[in-house]
Amino acid sequence: MRQLLVFLYKYRAFFTFLVLEVICIWLIVANNNYQKTVFINTASGLIGTINESSNELSDYLALSGVNRELAEENARLRAMLLNQGVLPDSLLQFDIDPDTTDSVQYILRTAEVIDNSTRLANNMFMIDKGSDHGIAPNMGIVNSLGVVGKVRSVSGRYARAISLLNTRNPISARHKNSNRYGTVQWDGSDPQIAKLLYITRDVPVAPGDSIVTSGFNAIFPKDLMIGVVSKVEPDPNQRDLDIEITLSVDFGALEHVYVIENQLRPEKDSLMLNDPLNF
Amino acid sequence: MNRNLVILLASFLVLVPLQILVFEHLALFDRGFCFVYVLVLLLLPIELSKIQGMLAAMIIGMLVDLFAGTLGIHAASSVFLMFVKPYWLQVVTPRNGFEVNTLPALSSYGLPWFLIYAMPLIILHAAAVFFLEAAGSGLFWITLSKVGLTALISLVFMVTIQYLFYPKGKS
Repeated sequence: MRQLLVFLYKYRAFFTFLVLEVICIWLIVANNNYQKTVFINTASGLIGTINESSNELSDYLALSGVNRELAEENARLRAMLLNQGVLPDSLLQFDIDPDTTDSVQYILRTAEVIDNSTRLANNMFMIDKGSDHGIAPNMGIVNSLGVVGKVRSVSGRYARAISLLNTRNPISARHKNSNRYGTVQWDGSDPQIAKLLYITRDVPVAPGDSIVTSGFNAIFPKDLMIGVVSKVEPDPNQRDLDIEITLSVDFGALEHVYVIENQLRPEKDSLMLNDPLNF
Repeated sequence: MNRNLVILLASFLVLVPLQILVFEHLALFDRGFCFVYVLVLLLLPIELSKIQGMLAAMIIGMLVDLFAGTLGIHAASSVFLMFVKPYWLQVVTPRNGFEVNTLPALSSYGLPWFLIYAMPLIILHAAAVFFLEAAGSGLFWITLSKVGLTALISLVFMVTIQYLFYPKGKS
């Protein structure tokens, strides 16, 4: 201990230098937007490399769970296919729309979650695809169970995303039975429970009802699962109902996700942003 | 010593406002800026400890930053300059050594010594400022040309100011 103090005292000028420079760089990053962006992108690239290698190990341990999830998704998709009535038959002829640029609206890219948190009030996670793979900020992220979050910033090979478990990430949602719109927002406590806001008292909401995405913004397509209503009671202080929903995604075991790119997003945004009534 | 204190205080009270109000808005060929406030840092006494020097640099740099809207950049560069300065002073010690109670100014040891003393420190400071501003080496050559031009202009101004306004002879 004494030697440590002697060491610190001997090089006190150098340590003062380090402390002052760290303060300065913290000030630069906190107050200058350009430097902040560069810092976040560099840091996410660096941190991503470390997280990826530690994640490769835990991948093997989670394989059985992933298998089960994929099998369930396969079963669900197969059921949808059967319900459509037309079995895929090589003898049947299909008419394919010749203009493929119009027919494909959403592009899905698989990615793997390499860093995740659920214990903070504002949770973020990181995926192993970045701008090199066509990921851009504000793309939606889902997995086979439901909505996960959206991309916030990207570096070459990694992207950092804002989780649904983030008190600053409200998501436009719809109550499936009544078609009424509201907002899903996490309140920062239980990683399985979120709140559904702005549903007025006249709407018949019951436990067990599905809450899905509204499709109002260009981030998520319509009718993606968010969660199931678990508790409804009229809020004595508010005009609206106090609704708790159980999220369909298990954020503690987030592994493989899909990043959704909306091809028509620029078109939709250009209309929204150039609205002359929207001063 | 009192005389030195007056010189330093006057430099601080004139050069820092001059930097904030006038030189902040000047740019030659869009590349050359003039960081004349660095002269205050260069003139700080040799006897000053490193820690005191760096704290002074932090305060002066922060003042300039507050008005330039680049919080932290000038402060970081100034602290860096004051950290390097004592080591450089050991290298450029005149043949007879430094005199006691003498500021490292142009009038004390002459023009050639001052140029050798000031030029590398000014270049380091300008490099720190512009590479922090560019946040990396992406615009390397543009940044480097800025550094060179800025260092040259700053040095010319510093020498001129010392010839015109500082007391002659041994200080």
